[in-house]
Amino acid sequence: MEFAIEAQDLAKNFGNIKALAGLSFKVRRGEIYGLIGPNGAGKTTTLRILATLIGPTSGSAKVLGLDVVKSASEVRKLISYLPEEAGAYRNLSGREYLEFMAGFYANSEDEAQSMMKEAMEISGLGDRLKDKVKTYSKGMNRRLLVARALMIKPKLAILDEPTSGLDVVHAFYVRRIIREYAEKHKVTVLLSSHNMLEVEFLCDRVALINEGKLIGEGSPSELKSKYKAPNLEEVFMEATSHA
Amino acid sequence: MPSGLGSLVIKEVKELLRDPKILIGMVLMPLLMFPIMGAAINISQTAVKESVKSMQIAVLDFDGGSAAQNLTTFLGANSNITLVKVNASSVDTALKNLQETNVTVLLVIPQNFTYNMTHGLQSILGFYAIFKRASITETGRSDAASLLLSTYNSILVIQTIQKVLPESNPYTVLNPINVSYFSVVKGKSVEVPPGALFGIMMSQSIMFPMVIMLLLIFAMQIAATSIAIEKEEKTLETLLTLPVGRLSILTGKLAGSVLVAVAGAVASIIGVTFYVGSAFGGFAATAPQGVDLQALGLAPSPEAYMLLGLTIFVTIVSSLALAICIAVFAENVRSAQTLVGYLNLPIIAPAIILMFADIEILPPAVQIVLYAIPFTHSIVAAKAAFLGNYSTVLVSIAYISLFTVAVLYIAAKIFTSEKVVTARMSIKRLRLRK
Repeated sequence: MEFAIEAQDLAKNFGNIKALAGLSFKVRRGEIYGLIGPNGAGKTTTLRILATLIGPTSGSAKVLGLDVVKSASEVRKLISYLPEEAGAYRNLSGREYLEFMAGFYANSEDEAQSMMKEAMEISGLGDRLKDKVKTYSKGMNRRLLVARALMIKPKLAILDEPTSGLDVVHAFYVRRIIREYAEKHKVTVLLSSHNMLEVEFLCDRVALINEGKLIGEGSPSELKSKYKAPNLEEVFMEATSHA
Repeated sequence: MPSGLGSLVIKEVKELLRDPKILIGMVLMPLLMFPIMGAAINISQTAVKESVKSMQIAVLDFDGGSAAQNLTTFLGANSNITLVKVNASSVDTALKNLQETNVTVLLVIPQNFTYNMTHGLQSILGFYAIFKRASITETGRSDAASLLLSTYNSILVIQTIQKVLPESNPYTVLNPINVSYFSVVKGKSVEVPPGALFGIMMSQSIMFPMVIMLLLIFAMQIAATSIAIEKEEKTLETLLTLPVGRLSILTGKLAGSVLVAVAGAVASIIGVTFYVGSAFGGFAATAPQGVDLQALGLAPSPEAYMLLGLTIFVTIVSSLALAICIAVFAENVRSAQTLVGYLNLPIIAPAIILMFADIEILPPAVQIVLYAIPFTHSIVAAKAAFLGNYSTVLVSIAYISLFTVAVLYIAAKIFTSEKVVTARMSIKRLRLRK
C-alpha cells in the first residue's frame, strides 16, 4: 500500500456552514504532509475526520487502507492525534500522564517502559516530569504532548498546529523533534499550520486549502516555482487569487 | 500494568481527588466542618450545664413565717445553689440591688404565705429571672430553679395527701390511671412506648433521604466536573482518539465519579454523625434500651441491605449518566455545574417531602408527580427495605433501572457519536441563529 491517507471528495456541514466542500488528497507513507490555509479553511475539520473524531457528511477517507468511519477503532490503533491547544491532565505529573497514555498502546511492561524512555528523550523535560502538569509553561506543556503523540511510534501522526502559541525557542525545538523523529522511525506526519516558514521547513509536500477545497498541492519548491513566488506565503496569496 | 478501563478509572480518581475544589469542598470540608460545628455546640452546652451547677438564687421574704422558712431550707439544701437573702422594701429595689451581682433568679415570698399554706389557700410566689446577657446559660439557670420549685410543690401535695388520707398511697391518689404502652409494628406487638422508637423512625425518615440526597448531589457534580474538565482543559479530543472503546471511557468516568462521590458521601456521613453525636447526644439508629428490634421487624435483614445497596447503586448510575449527558453540552466546569445544579430540585424536593411525610398521605396529584421522579423511588425503596416490604423495593428498583437504562443509552449514544465533540459548537450555532 503506497498511501497512508486517501481522502476522496470529503464534505462536512455543520448546520448551514460548509466546513469542507469536496476535499481530495493523498499522503504517501513516510512523508510529512502539510495542510495550509486561512482560519475556517477546513484544516482542523479534515484532521478531526482523519482522527475519527467526527464523520464526513459525504465522501470518504482511508488511513492505511482502513475507512475512518467503518473501521474507526482499528484506525485509532495506528494513529496519534495532537489537537490544537490540547492540554494534559493538570493534576497528574508529566510522568503519570505519559504512563497513562502508554498504557493504551503498550502490550507489555517492557514496551511501556521503552515508550516512556522515548517520551522523556523527546520532551527533554528531565526532572520536571515529576512535577504536576499545572506547573508547566505553555512550551513545556506542548513538548509533553508532542512526546505523548510520538512516543508510541504511530504509523500516522496527525498534528494540528504543533507549534501554535509557542515562543521561538520552544517552536524550534518542537519542529526539530518532529523532523528527526519522522525520519528516524519512518512515521507519516500530517500537520496543519498557519506558519508558512514552519511548513516550508518541515513538509515534503503541502496542500493549499481554502473554503473547504484544495486549491494547490506539491512540494514547497514545486509550488514556489509554479506560482513564481519567493515563499509559501506569496504562493498561498497567489493561489487564492486564482481560485 | 492496569487495563484500559482500569487506567481510566485510576486516572479519573487521581484527577478528581487531586483537584483542590473537589478534595476540600466535597471531602475535607464535610469531614471537618460538621464535627467542628458539633464540638462548638457541645462546648457551649457543657458550659451551660456546668454553670447551672453553681447558681445564686436571691430570696426576698415578705412573710417571715414557718412555711417561708421551710421553702428556703429546701432550696438551701441543694448543693448547687447559694441562697442570698435580700432585704428590701420593694421588688423593684431588690432587683436594682441585684443588677451588679451574679444572681440570676429572685424569688419573692409574699405576705401571708405561711397563713395561706396552713389554711389550704393558694399562694403566689414571685419568680424573677434576671437576664443580663440574653444567653442560653441564663435560661438554663432559671429553668433549673423553676424545676426545684415544681419538686417542692409535689412534696407539699404528697404531705397534704398523707395528712388527709393517711391510709392511701399518695402516688396512687395522684395517678389513678397508669398507662402501659405497646408498640405494634407489622402486626407484632412489643411493650415499648412509641416515643422509644423515635430514634429509629428518625434514622429512617431523615437520615436515609438525607444520605441519598447528598450522595446523588455529590455524584452528579463530580461526574459533570469530570466531563467538563476534559473539555475545559482540551483533553477530551485526545482521549477520544485513543485505542480504547468509547463505552470504556464512559464507564471509566462513571466508575471514577462513583468512587469519589462515595468518598464524599462517607465523609459527610461521618461528619454529620459526629455533629449529631457531639451536639445532641445522638439521635441516630441506635436501639433504645430493652427494645428488641428483631422482634419488631425493624432490624433489616441481609436481603434488605442487599436490596438497599442495589437501589442506591442504580440510582447513582442513573444520576451520573444524566449528569454526563447534560455536562457534554457545557463549555467549562462552571457552566456544567450550573446546568447539573438544576437537577438538584427533583432530588431535593422528594427527599425533603419524604423526610416529614409518608407518600401515601399526600394528595394524589402530588403522589403522581413524586412517583414519576425516579429519585423518589430510591427513598421509598430504602424505607420499604427497612420495613421488609420487598415487593415495594423491587417495583422501585425496576422503575429506577428502566430510567437508568434509558439514560445510559442516551449517554452511550452521545459518547459514541461526534456530539461529544461538537455539542458545544451546536450551542454556539444556536446562539448565532438567534
